[in-house]
Amino acid sequence: MSGAARSLPVVHSAPVDHAAAAAAFNANEARVDWHDAALWFVREKRDRAVEEVPEWELLRELASNIKEHTLSRLDEYLVAFESAATANGAIVHWARDAEEHNRIVHDILVSRKVRHLVKSKSMLTEECGLNAYLEERGVDVVDTDLGERIVQLRREHPSHIVMPAIHLTKEEIGETFAEHLGTPAGLSDPTELTAAARVHLREKFLAAHAALTGVNFALADTGGIIVCTNEGNADLGMALAPIHIASMGIEKVIPGANELAVFLRMLARSATGQRLTVYTSHVHRPREGQELHIVIVDNGRSEQLGRKDFWRSLKCIRCAACINSCPVYRRSGGYSYGATVSGPIGSVLTPGIDLHKYAALPFASTLCGSCTAVCPVKIDLDAQLYRWRQIVVDAGLVSVTKQLVARAGGRVLASRRLVAVGSMLFRSMLRAFPARLLRRLAGAWGRDRELPVPPRESFSAWYRRERGDGHDVA
Amino acid sequence: MTSRELMLAAIRAARPAPVERPDVRAAVAGLPLQADAVRSFIEAAEAAAARVLEGRRAELATMIATAYPAMGRQVSAMPALDAGAMAELPHSFADTEVFVCEAVLGVTENGAVWLPLSRLRHRSALFLAANVIVVLDRARIVGNLHDAYAAIDVAADGFGVFVSGPSKTADIEQALVIGAHGAKSLTILLLEE
Repeated sequence: MSGAARSLPVVHSAPVDHAAAAAAFNANEARVDWHDAALWFVREKRDRAVEEVPEWELLRELASNIKEHTLSRLDEYLVAFESAATANGAIVHWARDAEEHNRIVHDILVSRKVRHLVKSKSMLTEECGLNAYLEERGVDVVDTDLGERIVQLRREHPSHIVMPAIHLTKEEIGETFAEHLGTPAGLSDPTELTAAARVHLREKFLAAHAALTGVNFALADTGGIIVCTNEGNADLGMALAPIHIASMGIEKVIPGANELAVFLRMLARSATGQRLTVYTSHVHRPREGQELHIVIVDNGRSEQLGRKDFWRSLKCIRCAACINSCPVYRRSGGYSYGATVSGPIGSVLTPGIDLHKYAALPFASTLCGSCTAVCPVKIDLDAQLYRWRQIVVDAGLVSVTKQLVARAGGRVLASRRLVAVGSMLFRSMLRAFPARLLRRLAGAWGRDRELPVPPRESFSAWYRRERGDGHDVA
Repeated sequence: MTSRELMLAAIRAARPAPVERPDVRAAVAGLPLQADAVRSFIEAAEAAAARVLEGRRAELATMIATAYPAMGRQVSAMPALDAGAMAELPHSFADTEVFVCEAVLGVTENGAVWLPLSRLRHRSALFLAANVIVVLDRARIVGNLHDAYAAIDVAADGFGVFVSGPSKTADIEQALVIGAHGAKSLTILLLEE
C-alpha cells in the first residue's frame, strides 16, 4: 500500500492556487451544483436542530468562554490531564511535531509486532501524514470510517473533515467498491454499498492488533478521552484490539464533564443536524489486559496560541458548520484548499503553518461572515481571514497586479472627490462600451456574470435632489 | 529537555492573558425543559431511528422474546437474565444477534441512553451485536445533558457510552443508511416497575 501517497493533493509544497483549483472544479457545472446543494442540505439540517434549542446563544457563549479559559491555562490543564490519565492506567506521550507523532505511533506498533492497524477518523493523523509513514514501514493501515475508507481505497484524501467523500457520487463509489471489494459492477445503491463495506471492515476489525482513534474532547480532571462517532467504528476498534492509541492535539483538553455537556449539545447539531452522535464513548481506563496510549501533539498549535489575532482559532471543535455554510467552499470543493482542514477554519489555521504555501487561502472568502454566525464556539472567522490578508500583503505574497489595484482602490476610496469622479466614469463606461469589452475589463468579476445596468445619477446626486437638506453624503 | 518539557514551555510562553473559568452549573440551572419528559424522550429516540416499546418490568422476558423473534445467539448483560454466558475474549461476541443491557438513564433532549461498563459487562458486545435491546426504567429519564452529567460519574467504570439509535452513516451522497459498523437496530424497552 506504500508509495502512492506521494502524489496526493495534501503533500505538495508549492503555493496553493485556490482560484485555479476552483476553476478546475467548476468545469463540471452539474457536479458543482450537486456539491453546493448537498452541503447546503446539511447546513439546513443544522439550522433546524439549532432552532429547537432556545438557549443556543447561551451555550455558544459558554463554549467560547470555556475554551478561552482552558487555552489561557493550557499547560496546567494538560499536566492535570496527563496525571489523571496516567493514574487511570494510560500511557501518555508528547509529540512536538508530525514527525515525532508518527515515530511514537510506529515505535508502539513495532515494539509490539503489530502488523494490522484499524483507524477511526482523525484529522490530526491526516495532518501528520501518518498513513503514508506507517505504510512505507510495512504496517497495514485500514481507515474504518466509511467515507475515509472510500477515499483511502481511491488513494485520495478527505475533501471535508466530517464528510470525507462528499466530492464523490455513488456511481464513482460503486466503481471503487467493484474494484476493491468485489461488489457487482454497476452497483451504486448506498444501502447495498454500505452493507458490503460493513462485511469487509468487520473482518478488519476482528483481525486488527491495534486501533487508533482521534479524540474529540479530553477531560483534565478525570483523565478521560471522549470519542464521537455515528458508525461505531472507533468504538468497535478500541473494544476489540489489544492496543488502543488515541492521538489528540493540545487544544482538545477541557476542564471536566460539566463543560463536556455544553460541547456535546452543540457538536452534532452543528455538524449534521443530529441532537447527539449515535455513539459518544468515554474512555478512562484501558480494558483488562489492554494498553491505552494517548499521544498529545503540538505541530504548530503552540505557535498559533501565541498569535494575538489568531489564538482563538484553537477553540475549534471541528464540527464543519463554517465549511458547510461557506459559499466559496461549496462551489470550489475541499481539494481546492490543498490542506487537511479546508473552508474558513482551514484558511485561518493554514497560513500560520506555512504563510507562503497558503497565502491564497485567506482570499478564498467573500467575508460574508456566515461562518462566524454559525460557529458554535464563536470564532471570529471573517475577522481572522481579513487580518491574514493584511499579513499576506505585508509579506509581499500577492501578485503585483493585485497590489497595484488594491493600492489604487484604497487611494480612490479615501477621497470624496475621486469617488465622485470614479463613479461618474464607471457609469459612462457601462453605458458607452460594448458588453464584451466591459466584461474583459472587469476581469474575474465579468467572467461569469452580467455587469449591472448603470443608474442615471449617483447616489449623492439623488440624495441632494430628493432631500436637499444640505447634508453631503458623497 | 524532553519533548514534554519543551511543549509545556512553548505553551506557557504563548498562552494568552488569563480568562476566568465560567460557572457552567450556575449558567445552565433552570433552563427550560420539555413538559412531558417521557413523551419527548420517545420522540427523540425515534428520531434517532430507535424503536421504543413500553411495558412493565414483570413482562420483560416476554418483551425481549417478542422484540426479536426467532433470532440466533442472544447475549445478556443483565444479571436477572442468563441468556448466554459471558466469555472473556471480546472477539467471541462477533456472531451475537441480540444483545440486552440496562441503561442507567435516558436523556429527553436527544433520546440517548447512558451505558457504563458495569451495565455492559463486555464492551465489544454492544458494538458487535446486530441488534441491541436497551432496558430503561421510565423513572430514570433526565432533561438535558447537563442533568445527565450531574447524575452520573463518567470515570467510575473506566468506560461508558451514550448511545442514541442504531449505528448509521450518510457518507455516500448524504443518503442515510442504518447499520454501519455497530447495531443495525436498537430497541429501547421503557419499563414501569
